[in-house]
Amino acid sequence: MVELWEAIADNFPELASGYWLTVRTVTISFVIALVIGTAVALLRIAPTRVLRAIGTVYVEVFRGLPLLVLLIMAFSGLRRAGVPITATVAGPATLGLYTAAYVAEILRSGFFAVGKGQREASLSLGLDGGQTMRHVVLPQAFRTVIPPLASLTVAMIKNSAIIGGSLLATQDLLKEARIEVGASGNATPLFFWAAVGYLTLTVGATVIARRLETRYAVRR
Amino acid sequence: MTYLFSPDNWEWLITGNNARFILEGFAINLEIAAIGMVFSLLFALPLALMGISKKRPVRVAARLWVDFWRNLPLLLVILYLAIVMPTSLREAYESLVPGFFPEALQSGRVLAGLTALVLYNSAVIAEIMRAGILSLDRGQGEAAAALGLSYTQQMRYVVLPQGLRRMVPATVSQLITLNKDTTLVSIIAIQEVLSKGASVYGFNFFGGVQAPILHVLIFIGLLFLIVNYALSRLSRRLELPGEEGAARVSGIEDQVAPVRAA
Repeated sequence: MVELWEAIADNFPELASGYWLTVRTVTISFVIALVIGTAVALLRIAPTRVLRAIGTVYVEVFRGLPLLVLLIMAFSGLRRAGVPITATVAGPATLGLYTAAYVAEILRSGFFAVGKGQREASLSLGLDGGQTMRHVVLPQAFRTVIPPLASLTVAMIKNSAIIGGSLLATQDLLKEARIEVGASGNATPLFFWAAVGYLTLTVGATVIARRLETRYAVRR
Repeated sequence: MTYLFSPDNWEWLITGNNARFILEGFAINLEIAAIGMVFSLLFALPLALMGISKKRPVRVAARLWVDFWRNLPLLLVILYLAIVMPTSLREAYESLVPGFFPEALQSGRVLAGLTALVLYNSAVIAEIMRAGILSLDRGQGEAAAALGLSYTQQMRYVVLPQGLRRMVPATVSQLITLNKDTTLVSIIAIQEVLSKGASVYGFNFFGGVQAPILHVLIFIGLLFLIVNYALSRLSRRLELPGEEGAARVSGIEDQVAPVRAA
């Protein structure tokens, strides 16, 4: 017990800065994932075959590749190719693009869950296709998929640890804990606090999502 | 584009036995995934059944266990176990591994990686199973009870056969995730595909031929895409024809997410 408190007291600034970086990374990735994911979902249900194919390829490629492979490609791979990308950009961008493929799949299932009558009613009220999508279908689709989006967010928070674990010079929570373990040689207390840090984020996200769900969920 | 497709940058693939070297590494990933899946399934069923137990302490304990492992980053668990796994256990593993296993799997470090993968995946699959069982109409269990079947018999003959069939697509999706997660053990220096890839591009001029990182990773990525695409098609094919209004169990990344069909 004493060991645990000592570990947090001795390493608080490092762990806190790692935690903060993890929070920032996750936030940026989340925004990227939502924006790109919505765009890809719209591609997937587009009326043109070519657009649908582009959406499908995006989803299959980003879901089929391990995140670690994507991260090394995006950082070391591009740098070796002469692209001056930094770890600060490559990490969150890769995590966001990876997660976007899942967002797209979830949203697509949400589109199908919105009844056909909704679309027809909107069109017969004189709204055009874009307006129907923007004001009628999308809001309902988002509300239907709050629970799976929440699960995905939890997965994304956990996946953010892979950024620090790969070659990227990112000092996130897990990386900071590992650095301090290397310095002190005592693994358990530091990994304990890192685990607590991640649990606050994952469990926190779950709780927030449950609240959003009771507030906005579409009941059928 | 010229950088990507220039034949000079792909020459490493046909030089020496680079391609074979990487393929051998990929086989290690598939083997770790297969072993991990078998053990995860074995541990997941009791966890799932405990999670729906009528006894509250059992249920709470199972849920806490499952939620704990599901909510931690897998990499954290892998790294922690790699540090604290006692030498005696590693040695026990090394002496127990069948001789026909590839060399990379003989190392005691694999035990830490496998344990972490199984702890995490069995929790996720237990949750998939629980959702599958709960998605069954309550009437099924009640009818079985009314017919005079005991709890065990209800589970064995009525609930599990139907509930577990519903979880098949989600489990196959989870296998995709597990497959991808096997690359994480490269971080604890197990000689799988990414470690092998790194030694190919690490020798900048392997036999006078340059192996750019991007190209090596594209080759490795293609291997994953082929296997995972096949698995994803399989998962889609296994989906039961949609029952109107029924909650469908689908694997999203590594979490269970019931999406209600309209």
